[in-house]
Amino acid sequence: MNVQTQNPALAAVGVAHAHHYPAKMPVVGNARLYRIVVIGLLALAVLTPVGLIIYQSFLTGPFFSPRAALGLDAYAYVFTDRNFYKALGTTAVFAFGMVAIAVPLGGLLAFLITRTDIRYKRLLEILVLVPMFISSIVLAFGYTVSVGPTGFLSLAMRDLIGIVPWNIYSLTGMIVIAGLSHVPHVHLYVSSAMRSLPSDLEEAARTSGANIWQVSRDVTLPMVLPSIVFAASLNVLLGFETFGIPLVLGDPNGIMVLTTYIYKLTTLFGTPTYQLMAVVAVVLLLITLPLVWMQRRLLRNARRYAALGGKGSRVATLKLGRNGQLVALGVIGLWLFVSVVLPIGGITVRAFVDAWGEGVNLLDQLTLANFARLTEVPSLVRGMINTVILSVVGGAVAVGIYLLVGLAGHRNHGLSNTVLDYIVLLPRALPGLVIGLAFFWVFLFVPFLTPLRPTLFSLFIAYVVVGLSYGLRLLQGTLIQVAPELEESARTTGATIGRTWRDIVIPIVRPGLAGAWALIMIIFLREYATGVYLMGAGTEVIGSLMVSLLTTGAMNTIAALALISIVLTGAGLALALRLGARIHD
Amino acid sequence: MTELVVNNVQKWLGGLQILKGASFTAERGSIVALLGASGSGKTTLLRCVAGLEQPEIGRIVIGDKTVLDGERKIALPPEQRNIGLVFQSYALWPHRTVRENVGYGLKLRGVAPAEIGRRVQAILERLGLGHLADRYPSQLSGGQQQRVAICRALVYEPRVLLLDEPLSNLDAKLREEARYWIRKLILDLEICAILVTHDQSEALAAADNILLLQDGRIVQQGTPQEIYSNPNSFYSADFLGANNIIKGRVQTLDGAKATIGGEGWSLPGVVRDAAGVSGNSDATAVIRVEQISVSDKAMEGGFEMDLDDSIYLGDRWEYRLHRGGLIAKANGALQIAPGKVWARIPSDAVWVFPAQK
Repeated sequence: MNVQTQNPALAAVGVAHAHHYPAKMPVVGNARLYRIVVIGLLALAVLTPVGLIIYQSFLTGPFFSPRAALGLDAYAYVFTDRNFYKALGTTAVFAFGMVAIAVPLGGLLAFLITRTDIRYKRLLEILVLVPMFISSIVLAFGYTVSVGPTGFLSLAMRDLIGIVPWNIYSLTGMIVIAGLSHVPHVHLYVSSAMRSLPSDLEEAARTSGANIWQVSRDVTLPMVLPSIVFAASLNVLLGFETFGIPLVLGDPNGIMVLTTYIYKLTTLFGTPTYQLMAVVAVVLLLITLPLVWMQRRLLRNARRYAALGGKGSRVATLKLGRNGQLVALGVIGLWLFVSVVLPIGGITVRAFVDAWGEGVNLLDQLTLANFARLTEVPSLVRGMINTVILSVVGGAVAVGIYLLVGLAGHRNHGLSNTVLDYIVLLPRALPGLVIGLAFFWVFLFVPFLTPLRPTLFSLFIAYVVVGLSYGLRLLQGTLIQVAPELEESARTTGATIGRTWRDIVIPIVRPGLAGAWALIMIIFLREYATGVYLMGAGTEVIGSLMVSLLTTGAMNTIAALALISIVLTGAGLALALRLGARIHD
Repeated sequence: MTELVVNNVQKWLGGLQILKGASFTAERGSIVALLGASGSGKTTLLRCVAGLEQPEIGRIVIGDKTVLDGERKIALPPEQRNIGLVFQSYALWPHRTVRENVGYGLKLRGVAPAEIGRRVQAILERLGLGHLADRYPSQLSGGQQQRVAICRALVYEPRVLLLDEPLSNLDAKLREEARYWIRKLILDLEICAILVTHDQSEALAAADNILLLQDGRIVQQGTPQEIYSNPNSFYSADFLGANNIIKGRVQTLDGAKATIGGEGWSLPGVVRDAAGVSGNSDATAVIRVEQISVSDKAMEGGFEMDLDDSIYLGDRWEYRLHRGGLIAKANGALQIAPGKVWARIPSDAVWVFPAQK
């Protein structure tokens, strides 16, 4: 928020930042019109669906129904529904339970990887991020087939000891699984804070007589605390928005969270209950928006800490010793086994067998029939093609859009930049399911958009908004690395701001754009919730197909689709690493 | 011919006024140095001329074009000002070769490719960079990068060349060479140049005119000789040269002549800034180190002092002197043993200013 005051007499006193002032270029020739138009269009794309949700929540029926009138009936219904409060309570328990597991583990992992001499560091750095890139619907399905009531491992365990000592179809099971799969989100932020911590601060403590444990406790931990708090709040947010895990693991036993509550409302009385869904979405927004806003402040504080840094690298590492190595690698190995090998392994086996159970030798059941069946059903074939098109081509176009938005906000300190800052917060506060639903409504509601609804364009726009905050942050992070003098020297040489962007800024950030494309591609590949409502005949995507297939119980097909999704994501990840994407930002 | 007119430029940042009405002009074929401590506003002033910052008040004319006029609400962006700016960090575009860096300004001005090639090669040859045209900036040394940056800013013949601390990233030996050839180049090409620096020797050696800035104001301007030998304020006197700063009390005052003294000492001097200097008021005197000559033999009119130590500095000796509360440094060619010495301090070299906080 850098609101520049034009009138010096009205200006607030801000002496402290005298030397970090943003250059205030002459208003003429500073692409003001471009910035306003781009940010305005973005505001339209974000505010229209959100506005429609809010409008719908105050109607007594679906907005297209002639009988719909303004009223609070929907709120009255939801707020008197016992199931709603149950879902709300479950969601809160789920979110905080997940944080209680993910934060300590993620922090420990970050410490082990950045601050100790643990072996296989380079490999681990990539491996620990893997759960983050797999969609939670795939993960949840993977757990079902491996450790569900009739999962491979459960059956093996029953053979061995007579009972299955776990039940993943419970709130505890959901929390453990979600907690373990969100460890990377914590690791990412905490490890990058630990890495950017100047080593001289720790060295100063060591030369003052502290041993490395004392240094970790008294210097490192307090310094990275903002990032831990940030990661925790991010995970609370993700917990409130989660959909795949409760849908797969909670639904069979009637355990509902807010998102699955919305999903179940879809066809409550045989007619669309948009107004009720809208009310729950509004409630969700009221919970998550403050969280997002708080995170934004936290992040700024965290940056302030990091900005103090001198040289970041060359950190003296803690020697683990032989036993320490074994224990540390054991902990990480166990976690990786549970959160990567179990689900992915389960899916891989399940995708190639048709039947299994007690006394069935899986080797006898090996078959490619599940994949053969995929190619026979037109909607599934389209789903795979659409997913690839949306992520590869759509991802590239989305990076282009994020670049245009990023440039509109680049070295911009006016009111429009504040608007941009706040617009980006909104999609983060809404789960993909709700954004998809809202866009579905937009495409029904706005007459000239209606013809576009059954095309991939509707999904693409929703995806762009879902990926907006992540994608824009990637792009802004890349753009900000261009030294301001490089742009200023182009301007003084005679280039307009547009020429400067074209000839200097974009060529310099090009490698970053490729990396961003690969990461956005993965985000679009794994997306499943956004398409749940938007998807129609001709616009199927793998993730949303899995959601709708769940109700039919076509496990063979889901397994094959899930494996394809994992393979595609793996390819995307390999490409991202190859292009040098900065996953660690 | 006047190429640049800066008139009453004022700029605020938040509630802080960082330029408080700077005015100056610059001529073709001469170099104006903006000299001042960090935070004095010199770089901001340069950036205002370049159009990289927008002052709230003031008027700037480059050549025959008004590029800024606070009253008429004119503020042209940098690209319409026909200037060349050499950045402290050189700011060469890393993805372009030397040839492409230098030729960019000509390309933007729609010059034919053949002509661009000819003019780029000509200026690169002139600065001894002809063989480096196809290199990328990262493959050049600091000195070479700096010359490329100057070529890039000069090749399209801007009306005004702006240099922002162009020498500060060079090592000491290169810097002395660079300030010589940069001056020569500018005079040969007969362009108007503005040089921002915090280094007094750079300003003295390279500029025809020095503007001394303090706290967003131009406190003195003149030729290097005038600025150095005729300071009009304590700040000017203190900023340039190597100085002895002496606190004392005015003992006698007769027009511009004053005697300043303290416990056990008294020196005749001249008042440089009369405001705040009166009979019996506290005062501060500035004596350039090179104005004091020291001998271990009694000399006529010599000022008796105690020598605490002689420090060897390679090309000279530095003497640490005191007399009562008066502490001073002086230089000489010989080592002198500690003890009683005689110092010659000309009275017109003892500059008396109002007491400084």
